[in-house]
Amino acid sequence: MSNNSNLYPGLNLGDGHGEAHEQAESTVFGFWVFLMSDLIIFGILFASYASYLDPVGMAGGPGPQDLFDIKSVAIQTGFLLLGGVAYGGVSLAMKYEHGRARVIGWLLVCAALGAGFLFFEVKDFITQAGKGGTPQVSGWLSSYWTLVGLHGVHVFSGILWILAMVAQIAIRGLDEVLKVRLSMLGVFWHFLDLVWVGIFSFVFLVPLA
Amino acid sequence: MSGQTSPIFGNLNWNVTPYTDLLRDVNSSTIVGAGAASVLVLGAIAGVAFLTYMRWWGPLYRNWLTSPDAKKIGVMYIVLALVMLARGIIEGFVIRAHQATALGTLTAQESGLVAPDHFAQLFSTHGTIMIFFVAMPLLIGLINFVLPQQLGARDMAFPVLNQVSLGLTAAGAALVMVSLLIGKFGTGGWTMYPPYTGKIFSPGEGVDYWLWAILISGMGSTLTGMNFAVTIFKERAPGMHMMRMPLFCWTSLCVAIMLIYAMPALTVSSLMLVLDRYADFHFFTNASGGNMMNYANIFWMFGHPEVYILILPAFGVFSEISSTFSGKRLYGYTSLVIASMSIAVISFTVWLHHFFTMGQSAGVNIAFGIATMIIGIPTGVKIYDWMATMWRGRVRITAPIVYLTGFFLLFVIGGLSGIILANPSIDYQVHNSTFLVAHFHNVIIPGVLYGMLAGIHYWFPKAFGFRLCETWGRRTALLFVGGFIFTFMPLYVLGLMGMPRRSPTFQNPDYMPWMYIAAVGAVLMLCALASLFWTFWTSYRNRLSLAVPGGDPWNGSTLEWSSPAPVPEWSFPRIPQVTARDDWGEAKRAGDPWKAPERYCDIEMPANTAHGLLIAAAATGLGFAMVWHIWWLAILSFLAIPGLIALRGLRVIEPKIITAAEVEEADQRFRQQVASLAPATRADEETERNRGVPDISEFAG
Amino acid sequence: MTKPNTGELDPQDNAASEVRSYAIGFIVSLLLTVGAFAAVLADLPSTWAIICICIAALLQIITHLRNFLHLSFSGGQSREDLLLVLFSVSLLAIMAGGTWYIMSDLGGRMHDGGEAGHAAHAMPDR
Repeated sequence: MSNNSNLYPGLNLGDGHGEAHEQAESTVFGFWVFLMSDLIIFGILFASYASYLDPVGMAGGPGPQDLFDIKSVAIQTGFLLLGGVAYGGVSLAMKYEHGRARVIGWLLVCAALGAGFLFFEVKDFITQAGKGGTPQVSGWLSSYWTLVGLHGVHVFSGILWILAMVAQIAIRGLDEVLKVRLSMLGVFWHFLDLVWVGIFSFVFLVPLA
Repeated sequence: MSGQTSPIFGNLNWNVTPYTDLLRDVNSSTIVGAGAASVLVLGAIAGVAFLTYMRWWGPLYRNWLTSPDAKKIGVMYIVLALVMLARGIIEGFVIRAHQATALGTLTAQESGLVAPDHFAQLFSTHGTIMIFFVAMPLLIGLINFVLPQQLGARDMAFPVLNQVSLGLTAAGAALVMVSLLIGKFGTGGWTMYPPYTGKIFSPGEGVDYWLWAILISGMGSTLTGMNFAVTIFKERAPGMHMMRMPLFCWTSLCVAIMLIYAMPALTVSSLMLVLDRYADFHFFTNASGGNMMNYANIFWMFGHPEVYILILPAFGVFSEISSTFSGKRLYGYTSLVIASMSIAVISFTVWLHHFFTMGQSAGVNIAFGIATMIIGIPTGVKIYDWMATMWRGRVRITAPIVYLTGFFLLFVIGGLSGIILANPSIDYQVHNSTFLVAHFHNVIIPGVLYGMLAGIHYWFPKAFGFRLCETWGRRTALLFVGGFIFTFMPLYVLGLMGMPRRSPTFQNPDYMPWMYIAAVGAVLMLCALASLFWTFWTSYRNRLSLAVPGGDPWNGSTLEWSSPAPVPEWSFPRIPQVTARDDWGEAKRAGDPWKAPERYCDIEMPANTAHGLLIAAAATGLGFAMVWHIWWLAILSFLAIPGLIALRGLRVIEPKIITAAEVEEADQRFRQQVASLAPATRADEETERNRGVPDISEFAG
Repeated sequence: MTKPNTGELDPQDNAASEVRSYAIGFIVSLLLTVGAFAAVLADLPSTWAIICICIAALLQIITHLRNFLHLSFSGGQSREDLLLVLFSVSLLAIMAGGTWYIMSDLGGRMHDGGEAGHAAHAMPDR
């Protein structure tokens, strides 16, 4: 990375964007701090999941082998990874002023990929519930649904946020304030990827290994 | 609350108020319950009537509720905390009064002022209120007021978010208050351990009130922590290096860090309990693979840092006042910084000492016991630093110094009893006894309460332009010290005699002498509360003779004393250029500190907005609806929150501009006033001669 | 907040390197993901598979931080961001590790009557 004026996490707008770049320093930093707080929430849920992942925690209900569909998890991972990379399109289009339409276009691609992820996740949840794997069955299932569900809720709110941003760009134009907000959204979107890496590795793959 | 849920009113019906209980059966317990509800209702009516009579609704809305100014938000936090403090102390008094009459016999076991279930509600609300709605708003309020001024910043990094945080805290407090009138509060203590607080053992709204109050206000506290951290990292005045920050800023930074990393644990444990109670999940149930011990584990992962969240701002206050009122530089600045940061980090490694007796093996207990004892070391360092600061200083015995002295004497005892409890084998003997109750009151009251009240006394003139009456301030402080000693020292003895905490009744007559002493102490605490409010009232009446327009009544050395009192919205006419630690003191040493800036420019301030108020209303609605299973209202309020945020996002919001001319006019007026006022010596500090302009030739520190 | 002097960089050059950074991030992440899934599908002993998954996850998280979140690991950036991440991770390790330590100790003592019992009772429902 040759650009060494990085002031905050995420792709920096750079000095060319003047005020937005400076404002982003404290705003995006603050949002990143908030995400670290969120990270602790996920971390504790991960630890709880691990502590319920034993025969006592499963309480005779269905276990990972019965419920997890590794193919679907792989598809979801693909969607999310592509979604993350697609946000790179948003950041670059914004930074190098490729125009509103490009930014909105990339945002919609992100939202679509996020929606694809959610579709398969919800489908999995429904299948699992059909197999008797509802969260009311055991402590382990409660922690599984809460952890993975919370990530899903995050993705869902990320999509809502993307749509809100599209509306804002359409109404207000791509002004300084929105550039800062898009930088925040980018950090959020990539953060969800990061959490998902933890989820597919430790929630799905480790119990199956 | 059995019976079916109405689609419109949820579980609400006419039988949920304490008046119904009173009509059903008139006894001391129901009279106390209905009395408390009546105080709430009458207080609310009186408040509304008073505001209407004074025509204060408009100013209240325009100048306070919609203001994103951190200083005003800080004051509102403190007002909220003082209201809740009144309730908390009165509850504490009722608890003591109950136990003083609770001696049963083997034949008639139950006795006392209130029924056991009512007693359980009392100690649960008392704990919840004192921790979450007194201590937290007090310290967050004080930090909000002081931090930007000490850093030389205009405002917090995110002023509107700050307003939202206040709104969420107030929403949580409102839920706890409403539980006095509508329904009952939980009976599981302030920690609400499952499985007792699960649906099977605690059906009904009680635990839900606690859960939603905690979830909502906890969200507010997390955001506050983030706001503080960004303000400290990014908004310092030019030249204000980290190692030039006043110590109160350092402790605020520690608080911010702990809020950011500890509050999520509380959110998770509460959320899991919500899922258990509302959706039949099995995190903490006895059956189906749940594990109630995980709740204690997660809760105290928050709970222990929380203790230091509470105490560290008080340490910051004590650092400021020990230096100012001794006329000396703070001794051992660097060691205090290191000690504060170590406390902040080590506090994350000791949580298991809250449940030594839960059944884990000795090795685990020892590891956490050792960590617990280690955290005593930095705290000890601080006590010595403050004493060394006062050593050979010209100490003025003002009210904050009375608090500080009381803190020295009592907090050390509390800390030492903590070291005793840190030993797992001793903890096995005294855990869950009133020894523990005495211990944590012994650190929290002298630490948090004294510290915050000392801080309020110290910074009050900055907010309102007049000092608080010293005589009454000292009386209040002495009453709190005396009240504390009489109330809680007996509990150490009772604990060692074997009395379990939270006992609604007992059969051992040997407890009684100590119970009576404690009850006398509770009366003193009530007097202290009354004296505290009287201090505010009498100072308000004498505000002209106590006025300190010069803005520096204590001959202070940190930046906030350079501005007038009351401090203008913009705090500083120009953002100061900081050249030294304790920059204002340095300016005094150089002579002529009240130099006007060379030129003035326009100041951008965030515009007033009702955003925080609306979010608070939606959050209150959400909490209340969830408690009473009023689903339509819950969905509506829940959707309102992102809706409000999205709507605000669509609009372009212009800041409020204060013109250079306006700033110049106000600032010049202040400079002239300072020049016209006679400087007051330290000997005159308490007299009418103190107009807020100190004799800088006396400034040595 | 001192801003490092960036010098005059050719924006187009910069853009190309940023696109490359995203592309590298994507390819590395993809490979690590495939590796992790392959470790499960292949007939590895489960300990080895778990080690592979953990390493892949760790590497992928670092890749994401570096290439997508643009967190630089070698100065340059205002150091607060990196410190923040490291601090968060260490606290997370204390909390999650502590939870695991405490709960597994409790679980061992509550359910299985000691360490040895754990293996004997494994998967009673299957």
